[in-house]
Amino acid sequence: MAVDQDVALSDQQKVRIVTDFILHAPPGEFKEVLNDVRLLLNNDALLREQASGVFAQYFKDQLTPVKVEGSKYPTLISEYNELSGGRFYDPRSQQCFKYDPLKEETSDYSIWTPDPVSESWRSALECKWTTYCGEHFEKGVPAVFATSQRGSITLIACIEHHQFQPKNFWNGRWRSEWTVTINPEKTNSSSELKGTIKVQVHYYEDGNVQLVSSKEIKESINVMDEDQTTKEIVQKISEAEKEYQVAIADNYLSMSETTFKALRRQLPITKQKIDWNHLMSYKIASELKQH
Amino acid sequence: MTSDQQLDHALDLMRRLPPQQIEKNLSDLIDLVPNLCEDLLSSVDQPLKIARDRENGKDYLLCDYNRDGDSYRSPWSNKYDPPLEDGAMPSERLRSLEIDANQAFDQYREMYFEGGVSSVYLWDLEHGFAGVILIKKVGDGSRKIKGCWDSIHVIEVQEKSSGRNAHYKLTSTVMLWLQTNKPGSGTMNLGGSLTRQTTQDASVSSDNPHIVNIGRMVEDMENKIRNTLNEIYFGKTNKIVADLRSVNARNVDQKQQEAFQSELATVMQKRQNKGDISN
Repeated sequence: MAVDQDVALSDQQKVRIVTDFILHAPPGEFKEVLNDVRLLLNNDALLREQASGVFAQYFKDQLTPVKVEGSKYPTLISEYNELSGGRFYDPRSQQCFKYDPLKEETSDYSIWTPDPVSESWRSALECKWTTYCGEHFEKGVPAVFATSQRGSITLIACIEHHQFQPKNFWNGRWRSEWTVTINPEKTNSSSELKGTIKVQVHYYEDGNVQLVSSKEIKESINVMDEDQTTKEIVQKISEAEKEYQVAIADNYLSMSETTFKALRRQLPITKQKIDWNHLMSYKIASELKQH
Repeated sequence: MTSDQQLDHALDLMRRLPPQQIEKNLSDLIDLVPNLCEDLLSSVDQPLKIARDRENGKDYLLCDYNRDGDSYRSPWSNKYDPPLEDGAMPSERLRSLEIDANQAFDQYREMYFEGGVSSVYLWDLEHGFAGVILIKKVGDGSRKIKGCWDSIHVIEVQEKSSGRNAHYKLTSTVMLWLQTNKPGSGTMNLGGSLTRQTTQDASVSSDNPHIVNIGRMVEDMENKIRNTLNEIYFGKTNKIVADLRSVNARNVDQKQQEAFQSELATVMQKRQNKGDISN
């Protein structure tokens, strides 16, 4: 890995590297990674002017939960509820606000008017989705967003759940995003439900161990009335997320019982630690024989 | 900003970014801060690469310690590939120790790993020597799970003037990589490294040569790290995932908890009442 010290990196190349590092910050460690990157780059003007766009990108990618003024439910920062100018909306409280990714704060609230075509479907799904989230994610944050176009409605349901324990040197996050587009007038037609689940765990006491896992899922939904359809959506997601979780647990078992054991034994086949003196004397004896 | 501070931040960054992309991250980091190149290459452990010794067809492992320029030295033939006229070499005395160490750890590897590749490299220090013991084992991919183990044990030996005692400092890193992609679970990538350090004073004699002392230390350390890997990989991270989502609906637990809390509240209330009376 020889490095040509004569050729300095262009600002553009530096920004590419720095933004890549920031976007790969493990859950709950954005500030630490940003601080490292800032001091290594040693050019705050460049960071502010060229790389600050990825700050918001990071928080959208991670489905970051935020408290909403005047609402008992938090919402998520995501690409689905982004407006222009660093603003996001919370469909549940029908407000929009500015989000500051560096302070992780919301401000400058105003009223947000929902899309009249999709809102009743959205809130029907939100109600069931919130119940589901409460049943399976201790402190999970659910959010449902919707749009409509020429009579068809797109529903997006997200969940974020994290546990950050930097004092114990670990952090973990579950994210899932599910999208379905339906045409309410075509009842008994089928629609595709697409989902992505992402799980990341970081353990870093005297080391760096990470679980990085993701799964893409496709299911089919039978379009009925609002209540029936949203019920089926949540049912299908519940089954799919359970299947994923059980499969991950199975992998853990196989990895520990089979793969790990086959890589290195706990003790040699003799069930005793090595007698190094014997091992060395054996070597000398075999050398003497050869001479 | 001094380069020491920069190095601290570079190492902190490498402890945080996903270890699965360690090679790319390290090369990006070196591009970003070229003056840290040598420090980073010697302090960030990377997955070991395997090369074949052309002279005797035996595999050996590559790391920063057997590298000189773009060439790597084989512990078997003691030659650099690509050939190097004036490549760094251990002294004659140390090379003979290196040959013995390679044979000893080759047996150690066979007894614990039942396969894989090992290499030992030694270099001279002012009052002793240092060395690295490398072991790599790649799994057979059964049950569609890829597995890989990399051991990097760096040992520093300070020989006391009497020659009958020595001080040993061992820094061991084990990297464990597990990966699978199945229809049910999707992609699951569990990997990274743990590092541990230990020191020891031991007597040195013909009955108790350096290799025996080092061998015992490495064996104990690797056994300990194996246990810790087992706990962290399959215990800790598994539990964190299980806590992120409950497989079964939480209602039952919740109700039990609520019942417990109301009971607790009743007890507290009673105590408070008692307190009220006695006051």
